[in-house]
Amino acid sequence: MIITKKKDFQELYENIKGYKSFFLLGCSECATLCGTGGEPELKEMKEALESLGREVTGTFVAKTGCQVLGTKVELKPFKEAIDKAECIIVLSCGAGTQTAVELYEDKPVYPANDSMFLGNMTRLQMFDERCSLCGKCILDKTGGICPLTTCPKGLLHGPCGGMKDGHCEVSPELQCAWVRIYERMKRLNKLDELRNLMMEPKEWSQSQKPRRQYEKKEKTKK
Amino acid sequence: MTFREKLESGKFVITAEAGPPKGTDISEMVHHIELLRGKVDAINITDNQSAVMRMNSLSGCVICLQYGVEPVLQMTCRDRNRIGLQSDLLGAYALGIRNVLCMTGDHVSAGDHKDAKPVYDIESVGLLRVVSGLNEGKDMMGNALKGKTDFFIGAVVTPEANPLEPQLMKFEKKIKAGARFFQTQAVYDMERLKEFMRFARQYPVKIIAGLVVLKSAGMANFLNTNVPGIRVPQELIDELKAAGKEKALDTGLNITARHIRQIYEEKICDGVHIMAIGMEDKVPVILERAGLI
Ligand code: SF4
Ligand code: SF4
Repeated sequence: MIITKKKDFQELYENIKGYKSFFLLGCSECATLCGTGGEPELKEMKEALESLGREVTGTFVAKTGCQVLGTKVELKPFKEAIDKAECIIVLSCGAGTQTAVELYEDKPVYPANDSMFLGNMTRLQMFDERCSLCGKCILDKTGGICPLTTCPKGLLHGPCGGMKDGHCEVSPELQCAWVRIYERMKRLNKLDELRNLMMEPKEWSQSQKPRRQYEKKEKTKK
Repeated sequence: MTFREKLESGKFVITAEAGPPKGTDISEMVHHIELLRGKVDAINITDNQSAVMRMNSLSGCVICLQYGVEPVLQMTCRDRNRIGLQSDLLGAYALGIRNVLCMTGDHVSAGDHKDAKPVYDIESVGLLRVVSGLNEGKDMMGNALKGKTDFFIGAVVTPEANPLEPQLMKFEKKIKAGARFFQTQAVYDMERLKEFMRFARQYPVKIIAGLVVLKSAGMANFLNTNVPGIRVPQELIDELKAAGKEKALDTGLNITARHIRQIYEEKICDGVHIMAIGMEDKVPVILERAGLI
């Protein structure tokens, strides 16, 4: 899921202090799981704004905030509340925020969160980055552990000289990704495969921004 | 004889290191180069070592050439993408640089520009393959070069890495990728070095043992706890302790000289690389005590 954290309220407030009324939009997916954009956070934001003498014309937790069409339909019943608000604050990821920007061309929209990474939730609200969406997955070659993401240098052929007792040069709290890959391949009896592997240089063209995926449309065109 | 000719003909080589300045005043670096001229076969010029921003290695190498010493261009993958790396390599060759040491490079978080974007577009093994390609007259995409390079290609290895096996796997990959000589991380235990060399000798590559002078028992302990891939044996720490504060540095110089002598006499490695780290002026003394000059 997309991992978000709340912006410092003061930082947000600096952006919005000129407005008197707000509509608050959350998201029931990642932001809810991260505790940054569910019902409790909307309520907290509403109270904070009201205590500063601002009006909150309405709040809504979208089902999937990054789904533009679905969110548009869901928000129809809130037309009046949104019209009344001078400004929209979105409590989800940057994608959800930009859904609102697309839907409300004439209204200022501000993010309440910082979007950080695609993460695995390991325990309640503890997240680790394991995939950085590089566009061409190499997990098939590295025992299912991603060195591009879990090694801070994204190395492709083995540990660097900074590895110490199995830990990473960059932070002793991190295990060295390449020691993990090596150990796993050993356990799976695939060390020869790993030894013989000469990885081609990464095709960064696969992750050129902004990325698009229009497969269905292209298929129907043909 | 060049550094390469010497190594390839089986002669023992001695190399040292010089770091370019943080700034434009090159007087100290030039002083070190002049001190070492005639005493070493080549000087490694470091590439923004420890991710601390300094004058680039390429310029340092050119200065080294101007002062009559053969340089080894250290090249890390931290600060340049594949276009920048290849283009610097072509420039380096045109300017007379013939040896290149390919490394991944310390992470930016270790240095003085922690908010920099770490590049690592390719890494050590990838860079070795790139240099091999340039030597064959092709860039990374297979495009023909107008005039190819003929670099003597080097890499680094950590014989005391723990765990060691993944490091040895990477060592083999570096050889496959074109490395012809290796410099090791600092080594202090000659018996374990011999053990590593039994493994390394299976391959037709030259190995240069890295040596860092111990200034005190405290420094030895610091290296053991904080620096990855370095292991100073207890006997050496005891020896430094026994020497007392005043004689510690002198004892450290003796230890390095003794190791050089042993590596040379027993032909453990093909050469030594002295990383003086701020004590460049002591390198001649060490070599004298080792009986090599
Ligand atoms: S290689 Fe790593 S970053 Fe790329 S898609 Fe696979 S898991 Fe994600
Ligand atoms: S120690 Fe391991 S995980 Fe950390 S940067 Fe080096 S290779 Fe990558």
